[in-house]
Amino acid sequence: MNSRGEQTLTYVVLGVFSLIALLPIAGIVFTALQDPSGGASFGSFDGLHFGNFKTAWDQGHFGSYLKSSVFVAVVVVAFAGVFSIMSGYAFGLMRFRGQNALFYVFLLGLMVPMEAIIVPLYYDFRDVGITNTYWGLILPQIATSVAFGTFWMRAFFRGVPQSLVEAARIDGASSWFTLWRVLLPLARPAVLTMTVLLFMWTWNEFLLALVMVSDEGLRTAPLGLSFFQGRNTSDLSLLAAGAVIVALPVVILYVFLQRHFIRGMLSGAVKG
Amino acid sequence: MAGVTFSDVGKTFGSTVQAVKDLSLEIADGEFMVLVGPSGSGKTTALRMLAGLESITTGSIAIGERVVNKIAPRERDIAMVFQDYALYPQWSVFDNLAFGLRRRKVPRDAIARRVAEAARVLDLEPYLQRRPGQLSGGQAQRVALGRALVRDPQVFLMDEPLSNLDAKLRTQTRGEIRRLQQEVRTTTVYVTHDQVEAMTMGDRIAVMNHGVLEQVGTPEQLYEQPANRFVAGFIGSPAMSFVEARAELDAPLRRGVVVGVRPEHARPWREGLLGPLRGTVAFVEALGRETFIGVDVGDTRLVVFEEGRATRDVGEEIEFGLVESGLRYFDPETGAAVQ
Repeated sequence: MNSRGEQTLTYVVLGVFSLIALLPIAGIVFTALQDPSGGASFGSFDGLHFGNFKTAWDQGHFGSYLKSSVFVAVVVVAFAGVFSIMSGYAFGLMRFRGQNALFYVFLLGLMVPMEAIIVPLYYDFRDVGITNTYWGLILPQIATSVAFGTFWMRAFFRGVPQSLVEAARIDGASSWFTLWRVLLPLARPAVLTMTVLLFMWTWNEFLLALVMVSDEGLRTAPLGLSFFQGRNTSDLSLLAAGAVIVALPVVILYVFLQRHFIRGMLSGAVKG
Repeated sequence: MAGVTFSDVGKTFGSTVQAVKDLSLEIADGEFMVLVGPSGSGKTTALRMLAGLESITTGSIAIGERVVNKIAPRERDIAMVFQDYALYPQWSVFDNLAFGLRRRKVPRDAIARRVAEAARVLDLEPYLQRRPGQLSGGQAQRVALGRALVRDPQVFLMDEPLSNLDAKLRTQTRGEIRRLQQEVRTTTVYVTHDQVEAMTMGDRIAVMNHGVLEQVGTPEQLYEQPANRFVAGFIGSPAMSFVEARAELDAPLRRGVVVGVRPEHARPWREGLLGPLRGTVAFVEALGRETFIGVDVGDTRLVVFEEGRATRDVGEEIEFGLVESGLRYFDPETGAAVQ
């Protein structure tokens, strides 16, 4: 049992860190609501000017960019999710030749940053003619997402009791059936956590979208933010409003899935 | 139903660890065979090879006439009960029981009938709609048994199915499994490290140690005529004591062999016994109806059996004798039984 003093200290420390985490977010929201004609300064509050969001929406072309973002993110998360579950299952529960070497290749995808491969990737994609298409955005992100997803799902499948898989095998279930019908229902927290993380990373990808596509109809939401830089550097409130618009879908997804997300993070932490 | 034949079966993990060595064992159709041994004896590995969950390094395993070395677990027509039950947590008890039948495309009404029958036999009817998480250990255990039972397979495999139950429930379920097996007469291979389970359940028992089959026989054979010192010491509780007759021991025992003495063959001194021997009481286990007294004779410890609740103190001198007909003799080098 903690003493009262310890408990107070715990709350103070947690409170301070919560503030450190929350203040920038509150700052962005307040800035987004500032009077656009007044001299904007970060985090100060001078009333609720919701018109900023409409202006930012129009200037940042978010109507079209968000559509692209949703399309790319949904396709990437769907494919990467399915592939990750399958490869995580294979690495976690099957035994095959070259298993470890192959797994390290997957991990490489987790470790090499996009900045390191973007230039050769651009030339490769240009050769096969898929720059300036959705493929150019989707394929590399599926690849990098599967690297993390495999790592994540493998940790989950390794934690599954071996006897459950063996019981299913003896009961007559194929590997395919065991994965999708026996194990996947148990993997729900892990899968949902992976979904949120992959969605967030795909949604926020800036560099790939900047390099691979130039067509207005293909651009994703983070690129919209660049409209407020340089040309409108002084217009801090519009930049903040744009940032809020871009961040909102991820926040909404997180709020919907947060209960499972936290459980998934915890199980991943213990088993991983 | 079918018998099971292990022919010179070996299993090597990696390049060095030999878990099972040249195991040859015939299990008759309808027999309840218990594989018993300490941990690391290879009993579970042998069972898993029979289940198809481990590959076989050398030799062959046949279920009935069919060699199953290369046959997938689901095609071996076996059912297995696991130590941790391995129930599917997301499904109801009914679905857990029905799963194996559904995978085998058994008609729906037949599934309902067989599940209902198993639930009746195992007293699971009130729990059919519950999930495994809502069951007690004993109930979960019965579901695991039921899952094997409904399949009506050629062979039941059981891997220490009682080890997660408390002592009372274990004794109860022991009897239940035995009764069920005698009812359905399905060939059963049962793995345990508990010799009491082995002695009370098995038609025959195979004792394994370090991957080697030490002896196979009925419980009575193993108890009365152990093939070697390991079996003699492993079967029976409290265990058999071993004495080497030496000059300083001052005992009228056969020389040149190791003498095995079961507790019931060492009694407080009276005429007609072999002895007397004298020693110091090292421990007293008074169980009410009987008392086991650990006695140190020189550097050897024997367990002496006394009826009723004996009142002895640790450190006390005690005089006892041996029932000559009950003594067993073993070669001091090889450990093999000698006449």
